[in-house]
Amino acid sequence: MRRVLWLSLLLASSALAAPKKAKPKDAPLLPFPVQASTLKNGLTVLRVQFASPGLLAWYTAVRVGSRNEVEAGHTGFAHFFEHMMFRGTKRFPEGARGQLLGKLGFVENAYTSDDVTVYQVNGPSSALETLVDVEADRFMHLEYSEPAFQTEAKAVLGEYHKNAANPALKMEEAVLGAAFTQHTYRHTTLGFYEDIQAMPSRYEYSKTFFQRWYTPDNCVLIIVGDFDDAKVMELIEKHYGPWQGKAASTSPTVEPPQTAARTASLSWSTPTLPRLGLYWHVPAASPKTSDGAVMQVLGAYLAGPTSPLYKALVLEQQLVERLGESDDLHRDPHLFGVEAKLKDEAHRAAVEQAIAGAVALVAKGTVDAKRLSDIKDHLRFGLLMGLETPAQIADALAWHVGVLGAPDALETLARKIQAVTAKDLTAFAKKHLTEKNRTTLVFTVDVKGGAK
Amino acid sequence: MSRHLTLASALLAAACATTPVEKPLPKDAAQITPDTLAELVARPPPPPVPVPYTPLPKVEPMALVLVPVPGKPIVSVRLVFRAGSVDDPPGKEGLTALTTRVLVEGGTASLSSSQLLEALYPMAAELSGDTDKEFTTLAGRVHVERLPRFLEIISEVLLAPRFDPKELARLQAEQLSAIRTRLRGENDEELGKAGLDALLYPRHPYGHFTGGTEKGLEAITLDDVKAHWKSVFTQDRLIIGLAGGVDDALAQKVKQALRKLPATGVARAPLPPAPGVRGATLILQRDTLSTAGSFGFSTAMRRDQPGFFALMMTLSYFGEHRQEHGVLFQELRDKRGLNYGTYAYAQHFRQDGWSSIPLPNIARSEQDVSIWLRPVEAKHGLFATRGVLYFLDQLRNAPIPAHRFETARGFLIGATRQWVLTDQRRLGWAIDDVLYGTPDFLGHLRKALETITPEQVQATAKRELAPELLNFVFVTKDAEGLQAALVSQAPTPISYSTSKPAELLSTDKRIATTPLPLHPGLIRVVPASEFMRE
Repeated sequence: MRRVLWLSLLLASSALAAPKKAKPKDAPLLPFPVQASTLKNGLTVLRVQFASPGLLAWYTAVRVGSRNEVEAGHTGFAHFFEHMMFRGTKRFPEGARGQLLGKLGFVENAYTSDDVTVYQVNGPSSALETLVDVEADRFMHLEYSEPAFQTEAKAVLGEYHKNAANPALKMEEAVLGAAFTQHTYRHTTLGFYEDIQAMPSRYEYSKTFFQRWYTPDNCVLIIVGDFDDAKVMELIEKHYGPWQGKAASTSPTVEPPQTAARTASLSWSTPTLPRLGLYWHVPAASPKTSDGAVMQVLGAYLAGPTSPLYKALVLEQQLVERLGESDDLHRDPHLFGVEAKLKDEAHRAAVEQAIAGAVALVAKGTVDAKRLSDIKDHLRFGLLMGLETPAQIADALAWHVGVLGAPDALETLARKIQAVTAKDLTAFAKKHLTEKNRTTLVFTVDVKGGAK
Repeated sequence: MSRHLTLASALLAAACATTPVEKPLPKDAAQITPDTLAELVARPPPPPVPVPYTPLPKVEPMALVLVPVPGKPIVSVRLVFRAGSVDDPPGKEGLTALTTRVLVEGGTASLSSSQLLEALYPMAAELSGDTDKEFTTLAGRVHVERLPRFLEIISEVLLAPRFDPKELARLQAEQLSAIRTRLRGENDEELGKAGLDALLYPRHPYGHFTGGTEKGLEAITLDDVKAHWKSVFTQDRLIIGLAGGVDDALAQKVKQALRKLPATGVARAPLPPAPGVRGATLILQRDTLSTAGSFGFSTAMRRDQPGFFALMMTLSYFGEHRQEHGVLFQELRDKRGLNYGTYAYAQHFRQDGWSSIPLPNIARSEQDVSIWLRPVEAKHGLFATRGVLYFLDQLRNAPIPAHRFETARGFLIGATRQWVLTDQRRLGWAIDDVLYGTPDFLGHLRKALETITPEQVQATAKRELAPELLNFVFVTKDAEGLQAALVSQAPTPISYSTSKPAELLSTDKRIATTPLPLHPGLIRVVPASEFMRE
């Protein structure tokens, strides 16, 4: 499962652009062409030929995540359902699918986020025909028994347990719970503990969930590596062509504008460091606007390793152990944040003031042009650095098409990042990073018997 | 203060916790009666059996490992030093890891720490350091357009560190915080793994956490760091790896620049053999929802030894890391829903970042076999542990189903190809081949796997994986309750809220009474807050 908040810098390395040198202005920024087709049933297929002799990545992005958990008491369901997708079909019942793909040398995984669920398979091109057959079969004919469903719910509980020792999960719950009152973003992707405990009783709902969201028009196939394009498309037509269904139109409730500052308080009873987080509601990262690009540049500008804040708080004054930004792209309006792990509770006010001061400077129009240029260079060079294997390319494409919806979302975002100006940063900060739009995380440590 | 339980207090706990067996056990289940329990407790602890090892092969100073990828616009640099936490002087535990961080993050003669970040940032250049038990890796990546400046920076990082006292203070505080908060309080699974190192290697340089101990770190001064830099970051301990858009000329240039490192420093004292602890238990007590487990033992089997390929296949079949087809995953998670996964390893394992791929260049002269039981609801902790033991017994004694074996074998052959797709990983494995003296290890492994049989796997399990070799680490809240249960060996039946096949329930009865091959006199309870204090 991909975590969205608290120093989760995962996407900072994937939302990247290519070097500018010697490129004509309109040349693609991605270092490879992406071929896109859409089947009659609405299934979009993206392909990238990549020099990985004998190997390919076969990814499926389903545009569903915890955002789609609209019914009360069903939080965590998108993620749980991701687990169920490994359970089997009539043709490849319980365990048979895994055995077949494993024997052929395929490595599988999957993750779920707020907006997208991605299924990842990496392995030999030589077994392509079997892979297409097995993958199409599970998306079209998933079938599992109630006991198997109930057992898997326990494994999800185990996943919660493995994450629970780290305060990040509870902090995320606290921040989202305070910042959102209506939208489904108010819960984490893993879901509330009590909802996870109740999952075994949701067998019938799970079928509804599958019918609603696992439809061809709501999925994108991404194939990267060593393969014959015509052959792949022929196999896809054959196996995925008969897939029918339309995605449900159920949408989350729109979050009303925040009108006053909020606080998310959380106290921790075992030794750890206190944390501070400042979060603001920001617009959705639509491919039609520049908001997502501006937000990502602003995150690096305010809290990146070359920011004045980092230099002052982490390196010079040493009030903060870690400083980072929370600027993941989202399909609906979500949050932008700056997060700090405090070395001592006594530093809270000073650190909050410093972060607010840095934000105010940008909002007033003071933007360091050299730093802005460096950030854009960093993101440009980072593109090639982060796209070294079929899996990395497929992951980047899957995430961006999954969240943003457009097949060329990664390229579009990369271009928009390069077009971000100082004025854009100022306008964004001025409009969104305001006091009344802010939720502040106050994470304190209260160890019985005294913390070290 | 840590509580080292004596045999007497263990006996007392046993007396309180023995519970009557309500239902007759299956005929083939091990019977734990008061008599056999008394016998078990009275028995002296099994003596440790030191595990011999041969030193890793010698490597020529500044050996070059090149993996050119023609036309690739990115260059990867991987500098692997034979310097690790085993080189930490007694009382200064954590010095190698801290010195590495001071080099990589603390600035150079011409660049302060913030200027170093500013220099690397626009290039999106990566530079990181990682210290393990015996080796430290400095890894860097840069676009070929920015290579000259990047190489200048790397050279300065190694040859002219800034040794800024303020940076030392910052990094020292962070490393202390990593022990006091992150290790002890935020990740039960990593805590369990560090606990297993401590349990397997008492009074041995492998025993302390690679990040150090609280007391050791507190004692480190800037002069210690300077001296350690000269002692262990030397030519004779270095292997130079380059991959991507590289050629011989570049390699010679890099080698020439690094000739300014001291030719030699302090010789590493030979490592003592692993003590060969068996049947010992460490319970790390902390306020947590669940019980996490790490089990294992020291082994003489290393990847350069005959028979290692079979051992790797055996542990992969039993519990391949984060893969559904492993026996432990199938039985404990898929069928019983006990946890998120349980895995088994033929050699010391660390995952590479967010991937599920093994991290290279953590070579160890002395290896361990381990099993990672991911957090289980505390009430089922002991049942799950017995599950591991029961299926280990099955692996050693029951027929191995052909179809499951074929899946595990096919998977391992295919997965090893995924382990080397990035230049850093290719380099890492190529460097490991030099460190262990195993040219093209993965190629030979794949070839060996083609002909391996289930019978060979079973024979390997019988020979190499005796349950009485195992040691146990648990991270849990009710340490005393767990200790009492371990001592009593009382059955730990399980019930499910969901329906289960009769065959599974029958197996569960056997699992619930599987003997725990641990000795009551070798159980230690330590509050997590005390772990790695000194």
